[in-house]
Amino acid sequence: MGTINAALSLISGALDADQNALNIVSNNVANASNQAYTRQVPNWAENQPLYISGLFLGSGVSVNGGISQRDRVLEQRLQQQQQLSAASSTLLTALNTLQTGFSPSATTSTAGDVGSDITNFFNSFTQLQSNPTSNPLRQQVLATAATLAGDVSSRAASLNAQQVSLDQSANTVVAQVNSLTVSLAQINQKIQSLSPNSDAGPLEDQRQSELTQLSQLIGINQITTEKNGLSITTTGGQLLASQGQAFSITTGAVGGVTHFFVGGTDITTQLASGGGQLGGLLTARDQSIPTVLASLDQLAYSVATQVNTVNNAGTDLVGDNGNSGDIFNAPTQVAGSAQAFQVVLTNPDKIAAAGLGLGTGNDANAVAFANLASQAFVNGQTPSDYYSNLVSTLGATVSQTTIQNTALSASLNQLQNQRNSLSSVSLNEEAASLQEFQRSYQAASQVFGILNSVFASALNLGVVTSVA
Amino acid sequence: MRVNPFYVSNLSDALNQTQASQQLLTNEISSGTRVNSIGQDPVASAQNVQLLNEIQRDDSFTQTTSLTTGLLQITDSALGSVVTQLNKALSLATQANNGTLNTSDLKAVSNQIAGLRDEVLSLANTSYQGQYVFSGSQSNTAPFSLNNSTSPATVTYNGDSVVNTLVSPNGQTIQLNVPGDQIFTTAAANVIGVLNNLVADYANGGSGAGIADTASLNTALNFVGQQRVLIDNSITRLNAASSVASTESIQLKAVQTNLMQADIPAISTQLSLTQSQQTALISVISALGSGSLFDKL
Repeated sequence: MGTINAALSLISGALDADQNALNIVSNNVANASNQAYTRQVPNWAENQPLYISGLFLGSGVSVNGGISQRDRVLEQRLQQQQQLSAASSTLLTALNTLQTGFSPSATTSTAGDVGSDITNFFNSFTQLQSNPTSNPLRQQVLATAATLAGDVSSRAASLNAQQVSLDQSANTVVAQVNSLTVSLAQINQKIQSLSPNSDAGPLEDQRQSELTQLSQLIGINQITTEKNGLSITTTGGQLLASQGQAFSITTGAVGGVTHFFVGGTDITTQLASGGGQLGGLLTARDQSIPTVLASLDQLAYSVATQVNTVNNAGTDLVGDNGNSGDIFNAPTQVAGSAQAFQVVLTNPDKIAAAGLGLGTGNDANAVAFANLASQAFVNGQTPSDYYSNLVSTLGATVSQTTIQNTALSASLNQLQNQRNSLSSVSLNEEAASLQEFQRSYQAASQVFGILNSVFASALNLGVVTSVA
Repeated sequence: MRVNPFYVSNLSDALNQTQASQQLLTNEISSGTRVNSIGQDPVASAQNVQLLNEIQRDDSFTQTTSLTTGLLQITDSALGSVVTQLNKALSLATQANNGTLNTSDLKAVSNQIAGLRDEVLSLANTSYQGQYVFSGSQSNTAPFSLNNSTSPATVTYNGDSVVNTLVSPNGQTIQLNVPGDQIFTTAAANVIGVLNNLVADYANGGSGAGIADTASLNTALNFVGQQRVLIDNSITRLNAASSVASTESIQLKAVQTNLMQADIPAISTQLSLTQSQQTALISVISALGSGSLFDKL
């Protein structure tokens, strides 16, 4: 049989529970703008009933803390998407910088356009045919040659500079990754000791927030281990953090660029394809820029070599037969040709316009120079076609990356929406809960008051005034 | 079903996008170019490189032809004058050969023909911009020199027989000069040699081999006329090639403009659409930003 005493203690328990629930609502509202926060709902639990004389008597309710509304699969999926998206947007930024050196020129007179430079250079030889001994026309050949060489080598120099700055950014990112893995290892340990069997609430929030930060930086895999622990590896499978231990990524220079190691293994290539900012930076550094640079090198190498050969196969104004010397500095190998591209000939009279052994008024060699423009001597293409190919290849890469990036951000957005719709704080909802718990608290206190007066009546045995 | 309470931040992403596209469109309008980076349209960018290459080649060839036409016209007018001088020599020789002239007249004819020969010789040594026109590739050397110590006088060719050419954008090879030995001192029609012979024939007041030499002079005259046609042909071909190049250049410029030029009306329309979208988004965001159930508590 129930007692008034029991009812009183039951209802004061309900007041405690309501207070706990109100506490949780306050915490939710306080963290409403915190993107890393996962909202909690009060964990209401009916108290164990009492079994007395064959009857079950309810014994109220209590709130055992809040339950974080989290879907770890969804979180992980979101983090993976963040890795892809960060890689592609970092790559896109690098490519956008890269393509500025190759902007399409609107007219034929655009300065600094390598395509126009190539055409102007070979055209200057066609003009020389009209008067092979003319000094102004010879000066023009040297001037267009200098423009071509200058523009190509400045492109190459800025590509190299971009590569260096990407290299530095990659180093910075790796330093951030290393500090995050250390802190993740510590949180891991705390979670394992404090909450081995259930969601660790705020601690888990912190872990997820750091995983999100890490996902911006580098491609990772997560493996759940015993006691709610987490192992983190690179997408290539190199362990970065496990239980309470972090394994830092070390750096070392290989072939002029920074390579990255974990425990002696070179993981640079797998990091490049792994994702995160680091993936984008390394893809740009090790693939996009070297591809363009190699094309420019090939162009500079072929043009310099062919033009020099032709100049040494004719007769110039100062009486050289087949030994007029080089117009461009002679490259010894393809790599690096673009940056070293420059005009070494200073005396315009040493341009061999006449055919070998012929009089200085002849233009047979100038014809040979001009014909180079339509000869496929750069990797099987004419110089102009080769440059045009370079432009379309690079342009296609930029365009693909842009499209890919748009698609990735759209799907990232969807996942973020999904995650937020489950886990983030809705003020409307909290307002409703607040009202609900307030009413519930008010009701419980009313019940308490009434029970109190009932108790007083019982103590006074009907005499109203004895105990108030 | 629960929704994402932070959906307003998605709207601000959309606002960023409209701003980005506004920036792109304004950029297109201000530059007048549809493609401002190669990533926007790789195919058009590559075509643009090739079109500009052809346009520049055509323009440059048109310039070159105007430089070259001067040379060819000088050559042509020199040969024209040579023909005139030879005609004069021919009529003098014909006069001398009809037997009516006395010794002193014949000597005078000899002197006159010698004068004409010197004229022809100086025409054969014509130069253009400091370069001798008829000496093949040896354009720094006067092509013909006369030795008066022998009788008949002898002429020596100091040039060579190398021909200069100009290659047009569509691959035509146009001859720019005729070496002097092909016009003035060929074995079949040695123009200056015949004149020298005629001078010698009448120098002593007789007529010598005048009749035979006059016939040779006639042959030589015709030959010079034929050689002149070569130059005239070059002028015609050069003009034709130049006009082809400039026509092609105009057409290619039209193609290039079509390819690269911004379509201003279309862009303006897009821009105004983007603006309305932006305005709408801003009002939506400001309306949504205010208010939650807490306002009613």
